[in-house]
Amino acid sequence: MELDIKVSEFDSSNKRRVAKVKEFLDKNELDMSPDIELFVTLKDNDEMIACGGLAGKVLKCIAVDSSRRGEGLILKVVTHLLNAAYNRGRRELFLFSTPKNIEFFKDCGFNLIEECDKEVILMENSKNLKAYQEELRKKRVDGKVIGTIVMNANPFTLGHRYLVEEACRRSDHLHLFVVKEDASEFKFVDRIKLIREGTSHIKNITIHEGSDYIISKATFPTYFIKDKGKVNEIHAKLDLNVFRNQLASCLGITHRFVGTEPYCKVTNNYNQNMKKILAEPNGKSNPIEVVEIDRVEFEGDAISASRVRRLLKEKNFEELKGIVPPTTYKFLKENYEDYQ
Amino acid sequence: MKIINSAHAGTLESSDAYIQINPLEDGKIEVEIHSSVEELYGEMIEELILDTLKKMNIKGLHVKVQDKGALDFVLKARLQAAVLRACESEPNWEELI
Repeated sequence: MELDIKVSEFDSSNKRRVAKVKEFLDKNELDMSPDIELFVTLKDNDEMIACGGLAGKVLKCIAVDSSRRGEGLILKVVTHLLNAAYNRGRRELFLFSTPKNIEFFKDCGFNLIEECDKEVILMENSKNLKAYQEELRKKRVDGKVIGTIVMNANPFTLGHRYLVEEACRRSDHLHLFVVKEDASEFKFVDRIKLIREGTSHIKNITIHEGSDYIISKATFPTYFIKDKGKVNEIHAKLDLNVFRNQLASCLGITHRFVGTEPYCKVTNNYNQNMKKILAEPNGKSNPIEVVEIDRVEFEGDAISASRVRRLLKEKNFEELKGIVPPTTYKFLKENYEDYQ
Repeated sequence: MKIINSAHAGTLESSDAYIQINPLEDGKIEVEIHSSVEELYGEMIEELILDTLKKMNIKGLHVKVQDKGALDFVLKARLQAAVLRACESEPNWEELI
């Protein structure tokens, strides 16, 4: 029987085959992920019996037909996905799956990062989380109110600055995490530079580079494809659970500050989830109070990074000047005169 | 022979092993073993890995072994395959036996 199994690999441009994978995943009660670049399928007599996908450094959509479980087919799929990832030079990998598969993947060399709602698990094949937690512990600052903000700041506006100032005013110390994934209009190096420059007048703040564990393509893939309107609540929940259970305790975080979100559906949804997931007792880690701070407005409209990007396209530097700090304005004027 | 690239060999299936190697500076050898039979055979696996590397005259690498109960000759073959893929030079075939 084993000898008849055919393995194939194909990329997302193969629409017909991708549609078949989607059908197979539906049957196995899994969602297709829109960011998969490479698929692996196993077929027995032209019938699909197992599949899996690779998206960047994340293995996902791994499924085995219910009638063929227990034969170790999942190991074959993972072997092919690992080969594909390593051949592309990606060594530190993540894996997204359902809790019933934890033991299988442990045997494939993956360690559990977080399980969420008995629905999803995130695992990694390195020990990077432990190392990252150690690094965070070194930056711990004692105090009664230890605040945190996670921001993309794409790019840093007066709205962001107000949020940071307000959070610092209400905290003994503030840990600010900058989303590290380079999936936005502005690159990470520029985003963090503008945050550093724009908050240099504040003393009780630590600015952290983000990581794979905070709003990354591993913890929260749909954040980066939100323009396509594909919001996946489970990703938001997973990201927040990782934050609360794995990271916040390393820094002794008591409060998380967010700006109210009038425009972006993904962010607003994330904020609403945040209140539930961070603040309610979960038996794993201390609750974190979520504080929403009203957006500042300029000439009647809330200041947002998306407004900045729109004004940049319109080359409306006059209005821009009113909604970004001088440091950001200078950077935009020098580098983005011809932004399209 | 010198390890130039990262390379891998094997599978995660039962009775096999998946071996990954990565180059390391200063001729160090690091062996990381994950095995379902680690308690019983962990040391033997490590010995076998080190011995095989020594015979091939290989240093300066990190070896990660995901063992699924492979027998000695399987482990040895998988390791040799991974090393040859990482070296990009013709081995002395006699040494491999």
